[in-house]
Amino acid sequence: MIPQRHEIRQAGVENAVLAIENLSITYGKGSEAVHAVRGVTLSIAPGEAYGLIGESGSGKSTVAFSCMGHVAGGEIETGSIKLKGENLLRLSPAGWQSVRGNRVAMVYQDPMNALNPAFKLGAQVAEALIRHRNMTRKDALARAVELFRQVRLPDPENLAQRYPHQISGGQQQRVVIAMAIACEAELLIMDEPTTGLDITTEAHILDLIADLRKRLGMAILFISHNLRVVAQVCDRVGVLYAGQMVEEGPASEVLRRARHPYTMGLNNSLLPIDGAVKRLNPIPGSLPDLRNVPGGCIFAARCAYATPQCKDAVPAIQVVGSRHVSRCIFNEILPLAERAAETRKRFGPEESVPPQLSVVDLDFSYARPSLALPFLNRKEQSKALDRVTLAIRPGETLGIVGESGSGKSTLARCIAGLRAPTGGSVRMEGQRLEPLAGQRSRDARKRVQIVFQNPDSALNPMRTVGEIVSRPIGLYGNASGPEVAKRTAELLEMVNLSERYLTRFPRELSGGEKQRVNIARALAADPDIIICDEPTSALDISVQAAVLNTLIDLRAKRGVAYIFITHDLGVVRYIADRVAVMYSGSVLETGPVREVFANPGHAYTEMLLSAMPRGERHARHAPEEIVSRARPVQGQGCPFADRCLRYLGQECDAVTPPLRLGRNGHMVSCHIPLRT
Amino acid sequence: MTTVATNATDRPLARVSRTARAMLRPAELYLLFLVLLIVAGPWVAPFSAYDFNASASLLGPSWVHPFGTDEFGRDILSRVLVGARPTLLPAFAAATLGIAAGTVTGLVCGLFGGRVDELIMRSMDILLSFPALILAMLIVTMMGSSIVNLVLAMSLIFWPRSARLIRSAALEIGKREFIEACRARGESLGFILFREMLPNLRSVVIIDLALRSSYAILLSASLAYLGMGAQTPTPAWGLMVKEGQQFIQFAPWLTVFPCLVVAVIATGTVLIGESVRQRFAISTRLAR
Repeated sequence: MIPQRHEIRQAGVENAVLAIENLSITYGKGSEAVHAVRGVTLSIAPGEAYGLIGESGSGKSTVAFSCMGHVAGGEIETGSIKLKGENLLRLSPAGWQSVRGNRVAMVYQDPMNALNPAFKLGAQVAEALIRHRNMTRKDALARAVELFRQVRLPDPENLAQRYPHQISGGQQQRVVIAMAIACEAELLIMDEPTTGLDITTEAHILDLIADLRKRLGMAILFISHNLRVVAQVCDRVGVLYAGQMVEEGPASEVLRRARHPYTMGLNNSLLPIDGAVKRLNPIPGSLPDLRNVPGGCIFAARCAYATPQCKDAVPAIQVVGSRHVSRCIFNEILPLAERAAETRKRFGPEESVPPQLSVVDLDFSYARPSLALPFLNRKEQSKALDRVTLAIRPGETLGIVGESGSGKSTLARCIAGLRAPTGGSVRMEGQRLEPLAGQRSRDARKRVQIVFQNPDSALNPMRTVGEIVSRPIGLYGNASGPEVAKRTAELLEMVNLSERYLTRFPRELSGGEKQRVNIARALAADPDIIICDEPTSALDISVQAAVLNTLIDLRAKRGVAYIFITHDLGVVRYIADRVAVMYSGSVLETGPVREVFANPGHAYTEMLLSAMPRGERHARHAPEEIVSRARPVQGQGCPFADRCLRYLGQECDAVTPPLRLGRNGHMVSCHIPLRT
Repeated sequence: MTTVATNATDRPLARVSRTARAMLRPAELYLLFLVLLIVAGPWVAPFSAYDFNASASLLGPSWVHPFGTDEFGRDILSRVLVGARPTLLPAFAAATLGIAAGTVTGLVCGLFGGRVDELIMRSMDILLSFPALILAMLIVTMMGSSIVNLVLAMSLIFWPRSARLIRSAALEIGKREFIEACRARGESLGFILFREMLPNLRSVVIIDLALRSSYAILLSASLAYLGMGAQTPTPAWGLMVKEGQQFIQFAPWLTVFPCLVVAVIATGTVLIGESVRQRFAISTRLAR
């Protein structure tokens, strides 16, 4: 049994499971020394879940790994890490072995890397039990199966005999969790355990974590950059900035009534839960150089409320509420930045405007290429797109949402002419476009541009920003000679980068800056439509907010239309005018954002909506999982039939669902008529 | 932690390229030495490499003839100096040609992947399945023992080996999204291959060239020894070893010195290749 949130005892250091005191970790020596963690103090009571949040580079993972005794290349300068009163930092390497995986267990961000691909899943989990609990191989394997049942994996006996690559990402993460709880560790460290997962899978994993806490009562150190996820799982949160704890308090209070300007900035970067169209107000600037941190308040350079006296001394920790502390000289509640309230108009053309670009009955099948036996592979074809029909009007933003594997990226690539569809067509103002970009006219290519997901791989590392952005200008003949340089500088300015960036290489830019260069390159062609393929999924929330603002400004200034592909419903609701929900290569529902979010017509859309994090404990319940129904045969019936909560029976499996029409172009592909 | 490395104000690369340049210095000096040997070898030779001198036949090493003389009284040192050109030039030409072909092949495989890659690489495997020396000999024997044929035969040996190496690096580059961006823009094949992909493979190509050159020198000497390519009286090093070996029992300097020169030059090239490789390893690590 865990104590209720408001009943948690004052976490005295004596009975704390984990007590970190004044921990400082430094990488490198002399003037090159990076002070990654500076004087962090925190304690976790038995059964408590403590969340650690901050932007990437803030040192949250460094703190977590130091609790496992991993500070590769770094040096712990001061401080102590006590597990039930025992100072872990005094342990010998052999002493650490009895702690890791046994008393402190860790769940990593990427389950694929945490599992050894060469071992069966059951054996991997049994390994820890054999090592730490002296179990026999047979007992350990039996216990592993029991653990798989505890983490709600389907068919545990069978699963224990499988290899990591044979199961889905969500299932892999469950196996990693099973491994972590195998030895009933006193402390469970979770480093972004749901970051790489789909929204529905994330909801299930978070549910599981809450459930395990209730049953096993272990203390949890939960690390995440997503405040809403943290608030949902944790009792208390600590906010790290540049290796320093700037605020700590009860989770709901930190999320709603943040006292430190940095936390307020993080909260302002969150997309509104209610779908309000207000402008986001992200934190300007980026983390300071940790080799040479300015004196005084570490956040002063980016702080909207900074006064000269902020730079005098490092602010002391102030108590601002019940068990709520903040490292800021202002003790009164700071006024919320007024800019945050600034609203933005929804944009979008009238229903009657004819579409600029349309996709008609688009099909795409993967067939495995092979020289040896090309005719044997016919059966292995799988459809990534199944009769997708969509339209986008000039200046409109069409959001496409779906889980991984739903075919949304394939759709983007078919529209951009990077993959040749196996059926159907892409039309520009009614004119059929050639399938591949190379065959299309220069004008057609110019009008559709694409921004890729991964800012690191989308820019050629050997070219300067100037070269990257100016190339499309020359290629499409939008300008020539000295005009090109002028245009390039203008484009950079449009995405809020100064001219100084012209001569920089991609490796010298941060993730957000790289993504801006990407957007500038797409804009350089002077397109009508920009396809954005998950442009913010690799970025921190504060950076995401800034990039979204840039995209919205550009839309207002240039009248460009976006096809915005994402797995994040919050982003779609925030930026898009219309939305299309994809599942397994088919569009299940499409319509105006407001309509679809308020009155979802398809069970899948409803499931996605209910899985959205709302930043409250128990506020969302993972939709129940159905495992008994057989997977639908591709091309027959409804692709969602096996997971549908409104399953009607035979009809869903056998008959392709009809298109139901609602208001304002709201369309749902389901046997059940739309509610109106 | 990565944000620190990308801080705008400092350029860690500038500092590293200084150390890199220092590491490159012996490489540059060595390269200069090779070029001098090839260009000026015949000029600095103290004696003629071709004229007979019956009164000085088979003399051991001395101050006048440091490497001794052969059965016709020709100065071995002079012959070695003159022989640099017919030995090294075909070697470097073949290495360059083979790697150029390998680079283009590798880039094409890396970009297209799939069936194109499969088809090309299996053809390369066929070439690879012949023992190198035998394949070269076969070609030279069939097509005639001219220098051009020799160079072509040797480059045919380097082509598949280089293609395989470049391909493995190109496959990774070819998957990056900036290549897709090029395709969506409608860039030409040449632009994608040589302007977008090649710069990212520069280090691999240079290292390959350096390491393969040393093997080319050995191959060139071996083929000359087997009577392919250069013919008497050209003082190609391999040929000198072949002609000198009949006297090996009482005049070993005829074979020892040309062998030694081949060994030293080939080893030197390997070491230089290695230092260039390390230099690039440092700069690519930083580029990440």
